[in-house]
Amino acid sequence: MSLTRRRLFQRLSTPVQSAHGEWISARGREAGMMEYGEQGMAQGAKPIRIASNENPLGPGQHVLDAIVGKFPEAHRYPFNAKQTEGALITDIAKRYSAKNENVLLGPGSGEILTHAVRAFTSPTKPLVTAWPSFENPRDTAKKIGTPVREVGFDGKLRIDIAKMVEASKGAGLVFFCNPNNPTATVHGHSAVADMVKAIRAASPDTMILIDEAYHDYVTDPSYTSAIDIALATPNVFVTRTFSKAYGMAGLRAGYAIGHAPTVKAVQAFKMPYGLSTLTLGGTIVGLADQAHIDAEQKRNTAVKAFTVKAFADMGVTGTDSQANFLFMDIKRPAAGFRDACRAAGVQVGRDFPPFEKTHCRVSIGTMEEMKKAVDVFKKVLGSTTTTSSKDRQ
Amino acid sequence: MSLSRRSFVQTVGVGTAGLWITSRGREGSLFAQGIQPVQGPAPSIILSSNENPLGTHKDVLAAIRTSAFPEAGRYPFATAAEVTALVAKKHGVKPENVLLGCGSTQLLRTCTHVFTTKTAGLVAAIPAYEECADYARLMGHPITGVKLRPSDLKMDLDALQQASKGAGLVFYCNPNNPVATAISGSDTRTYLSTLMKASPSTTVLVDEAYFEYGTMPGYETMIPLAVDNPRVVVARTFSKCFGMAGIRIGFAIGHKDTIAKMAAWDGVGDINVMALEGAKAALAVPDAWVTAEQKRNEAARSFTQKWFADRGYTPTDSQTNFMFINVKRPAREFRDACLKEGVLIGRDFPPYEKTHVRISVGSMEEMQKAVQVFEHALSQPAKAA
Repeated sequence: MSLTRRRLFQRLSTPVQSAHGEWISARGREAGMMEYGEQGMAQGAKPIRIASNENPLGPGQHVLDAIVGKFPEAHRYPFNAKQTEGALITDIAKRYSAKNENVLLGPGSGEILTHAVRAFTSPTKPLVTAWPSFENPRDTAKKIGTPVREVGFDGKLRIDIAKMVEASKGAGLVFFCNPNNPTATVHGHSAVADMVKAIRAASPDTMILIDEAYHDYVTDPSYTSAIDIALATPNVFVTRTFSKAYGMAGLRAGYAIGHAPTVKAVQAFKMPYGLSTLTLGGTIVGLADQAHIDAEQKRNTAVKAFTVKAFADMGVTGTDSQANFLFMDIKRPAAGFRDACRAAGVQVGRDFPPFEKTHCRVSIGTMEEMKKAVDVFKKVLGSTTTTSSKDRQ
Repeated sequence: MSLSRRSFVQTVGVGTAGLWITSRGREGSLFAQGIQPVQGPAPSIILSSNENPLGTHKDVLAAIRTSAFPEAGRYPFATAAEVTALVAKKHGVKPENVLLGCGSTQLLRTCTHVFTTKTAGLVAAIPAYEECADYARLMGHPITGVKLRPSDLKMDLDALQQASKGAGLVFYCNPNNPVATAISGSDTRTYLSTLMKASPSTTVLVDEAYFEYGTMPGYETMIPLAVDNPRVVVARTFSKCFGMAGIRIGFAIGHKDTIAKMAAWDGVGDINVMALEGAKAALAVPDAWVTAEQKRNEAARSFTQKWFADRGYTPTDSQTNFMFINVKRPAREFRDACLKEGVLIGRDFPPYEKTHVRISVGSMEEMQKAVQVFEHALSQPAKAA
């Protein structure tokens, strides 16, 4: 855990949370940190929450209706409900022409990542991860005494695949977040396939976990999911979540797909009944409505384009975002930018060392929210010495 | 196949061979793979999982609509902090004394992870709720089972005391699932104070999942003790009394250092916002409602216990929303007969599976129907008792 993040945590969290010294392991821990510190916010107005890569619209009405439909069973354990975890597993398996034994559920994909690290790494079998990347695997590794090999990026802040392959030798698990959070960049399908081949040649016993949390937001034509690779190749598995495009971060559901022995090894650590009966009802209906997800991708792409252009107009550029967030080179420390935005009612992402001196992660809200947020960004970025020449005119 | 779930056998402990710690619902892992445990039509009366037969409290469901739905797209960490503070307030402790869990299941696992090792293992009564033992087995940590007192199927505190020395964690399920019996507050305190001196590195997890249904004089929560004692933790759940088993939330209360150790291993990220908002509503439910729910359960429980006792089938002294009854025949025989008539009761609980059944307390109406089914089941001569 970086010192910077720990400081942020202590500064913004309530006494409750800091007293626990808690390691929040789900995605979007920022949501907690940010909202604990409301005293730093502008009075009255509802804050614009673009810190945790959530879908600002939440789940569709069809999902909420399905949850209400489960109310009569909410007092029963999930295994006694009409639709058990098995029902969601069956639907996911069908979607990818896989078998039920290829699918593993978790209360968010976070639990699956944690348990993958526990299942496949040890003090003698390191974890390989890009850094910065989604931090759950690295945090888990540190808790259980697994060494971590951190891999950097190329000039476009895409994960350095050659270095990843090199670092994989003798590793227990390679964690490959694609698109990568927080850099927002993606690798295409053939690059991923080549990487898998190279790792398997270099280190045949190493497990490869490809996290596709932001899959539904990718528009790069070279990208397709690696689920086909996971189903065709031993020791490779893919994680997905309902927390992003499906708008269900609060409902807690994610899944993994891979060969049965891989799924079984992670499943051994699974907490029983982690997915609520209501969550199961909601995700089953949500998964069936691909049109809703396609529309969400379009919406995100449009709002993202607007925001990227607004930043460009301020002379600020970022990486090629293939997610529902931007990683912008604001040419100044994220902390000052964040605090100033926060005072104006806009919550943006936390520090991501070693980029915290120059880059800030900004999630994509609704168009209305981003219009307001952009106005705040303009003021904040215009009020310091690094204002672009264009803005001075 | 019988309804018994994944099980495991250990041959350790106080004179216990072939011991089998069973679960509060190991059903889950099998059901998750889409394996159905029973053939034929779904049972019309479910008395198998110690749920609240009346459903989820209406305030909980209302809160899910009004408060959870607008936040369903957001990570609920801030809400978790609010619920932590509300639980603390309700129990007169500080937020630093409270850790929420995805059901108490998560907290039982966390305690086992944090407090047991390969040399300092888990100690629990046999049978007791299985989660801790199951987790200890996963970690390869030793498990010691302690038989119940044969006379009343209560935990044998002398034997437990002896077995607890040097343990990492004692799982103290009170009232105990599946046998339904409870230990008084004074006996629990004596056990704990003796153990604290005799075994300075042992932590005790007191599982009070059925606390709201305990009616015997002298039954007490150990929350006040746990807050001051870094080696005692209490687990509670919203699954039972408030009818939230499908929604998944529970909490642990303990000394701040103990809670901090647990939170450092596993946090609140698995808890969904519907559970959190529902818990807020449940915490606001007046105590009078809880008392009424306790009375409702007790009435249906007494009716059923008396029905069995009148026919010579002895129940234990239930302090829960389920009963453990000596039906003088294998549980499987009785269960299969009941299921044929649409009543689903609990699975096998070794080492009592040849004589005892666990039956959850349904509504009075359900129990009045169920006893007619029990009558038929018992009218058949026992085949293999």
